[in-house]
Amino acid sequence: MSRDTSTRRGARAQRPSSGGRWRGWLRHHRAMALDSARRLLRHSLSSLLTMLAIAIALVLPAGLWLTLDGARLLDAELDESATLTVYLQERVGDAEAGRIVEALAAHDGVADTRLITADEGMAEFQQALGLEDALARLPGNPLPASVVIRPDDPSPAAVKRLAGGLEDMAGVEEVRLDLAWLERLGQLAELGRRVGLGLAVLFGLGVLLVVGNTVRLAVENRRQEIEVVTLIGATHAFVRRPFLYSGAWYGLGGGALACLLLTLGGNWLATPIAALAASYGAGFTLPGLGFAGSAILLGCSTLLGWLGAWIAVSRHLAQIRPR
Amino acid sequence: MIAFEHVGKRYGGRFEALANLDFRVRRGEMVFLTGHSGAGKSSLLRLLMRLERPSRGRILVAGHDIDRLHHSQVPFYRRQIGVVFQDHQLLFDRSIYHNVALPLEIQGAEPREAARRVRAALDKVGLLHREKALPIELSGGEQQRVGIARAVVNKPSLLLADEPTGNLDPQLSADIMRLFEDFHRIGTTVMIASHDLALIARLRHRTLRLSEGRLVADEEAS
Repeated sequence: MSRDTSTRRGARAQRPSSGGRWRGWLRHHRAMALDSARRLLRHSLSSLLTMLAIAIALVLPAGLWLTLDGARLLDAELDESATLTVYLQERVGDAEAGRIVEALAAHDGVADTRLITADEGMAEFQQALGLEDALARLPGNPLPASVVIRPDDPSPAAVKRLAGGLEDMAGVEEVRLDLAWLERLGQLAELGRRVGLGLAVLFGLGVLLVVGNTVRLAVENRRQEIEVVTLIGATHAFVRRPFLYSGAWYGLGGGALACLLLTLGGNWLATPIAALAASYGAGFTLPGLGFAGSAILLGCSTLLGWLGAWIAVSRHLAQIRPR
Repeated sequence: MIAFEHVGKRYGGRFEALANLDFRVRRGEMVFLTGHSGAGKSSLLRLLMRLERPSRGRILVAGHDIDRLHHSQVPFYRRQIGVVFQDHQLLFDRSIYHNVALPLEIQGAEPREAARRVRAALDKVGLLHREKALPIELSGGEQQRVGIARAVVNKPSLLLADEPTGNLDPQLSADIMRLFEDFHRIGTTVMIASHDLALIARLRHRTLRLSEGRLVADEEAS
């Protein structure tokens, strides 16, 4: 290419090179990110209120999620204690009971066995119910010997299958498994998860609306500017950019406030929760957000803010037509 | 540069703003567009800026049918025309410098190159010493000159002006027109809508006269 054509291009300079355009694009992004942050700071009180509204909308689903996370840990602990009780036939003596226990221990899917002889069973029963007098009047011990079995796989389906297998063994009268409450707990946890998800969707929508409304007002305030830049050749992306950044800033600020609120709330509730859990003999603590949780929350809130702004601006860009 | 081929524009299906306009403007020509208010001058300019589309006929600018532009191409088309508005359309929250730099900012121009061109444009309209001022601190004539500087800062090949001297006294109006003549002299195609007939007559350029949406006279420069 001759020197002559390059000077002619310089004189017209209608189209910058693609590298130059790319740098210009980045420059505008940087400028708009800073400019929208400055605008937010200029109206710090109203920005803070918007962020607080976002934070409150985020705290509820995030808090519920944390609670469920804690409950899942508790759930795992409970699964550990999922056991079957095998009642032996009444005629089975102690020696035969020992052999049956060995057979049970060798059975597939059995992790651990513990024999409770008829006498031990009676003692436990008396202790648990405080019915010493009434039971003492019985002519003999009506209780059979039993074996408590801890299964390898504590899931309700596996436990049921195991029980079916054990029932057919010689000397076994009946296999009892108390799965109903475990299943109920599982269903409760599932319910909690769904409520949590529903709330997250609902409140996420709330965040979109809060940001959308705030950005809509900003668009109205800068209507003339939008009209002018559209008249002199701004693309929609160019017009949208500052508003998208302010939406993202609102989301990020709201997310940070939500993290703060969750940490404060967690600390505030920690003592009574620990006391309550201790009274049930469980070691339940409300888990904190942690680094990953905070990052996810901030990422989601920023994304929601950006999306809310995008919807609001796009809706209004269609309406704004230069006079 | 510009070709109107049997262009008509209706609003709301009934009101006919423009009817059967057929004319050409050569590259580098300077043309006045006159007529009473409501004659269709602004409609014609809006069609040229592609703020609206013709109901009939077609408009060619630099050989391209602008009605065929995809809406994503329209911003890039508008960057090639400089427009001066009657009410300046300046942004009052930023300095003169940044108002003039706006088209370059939209194009993503390199800042040092942009600064050079903004200063050149401001120098051309005689306002280089006011670059840090806000538009509100300027007189009406000065604001209009800022509007012109913004229109020419990216060296458009076509310059449109809608009543650029509408609110100015005769002396200032003559100054503004002289600026447009300067751009015409360096090869820019200039089209100015104005009803200041006395001023237009003095300047001796081609004049298109509109009346009720029709082209009633096309007088070459005498």
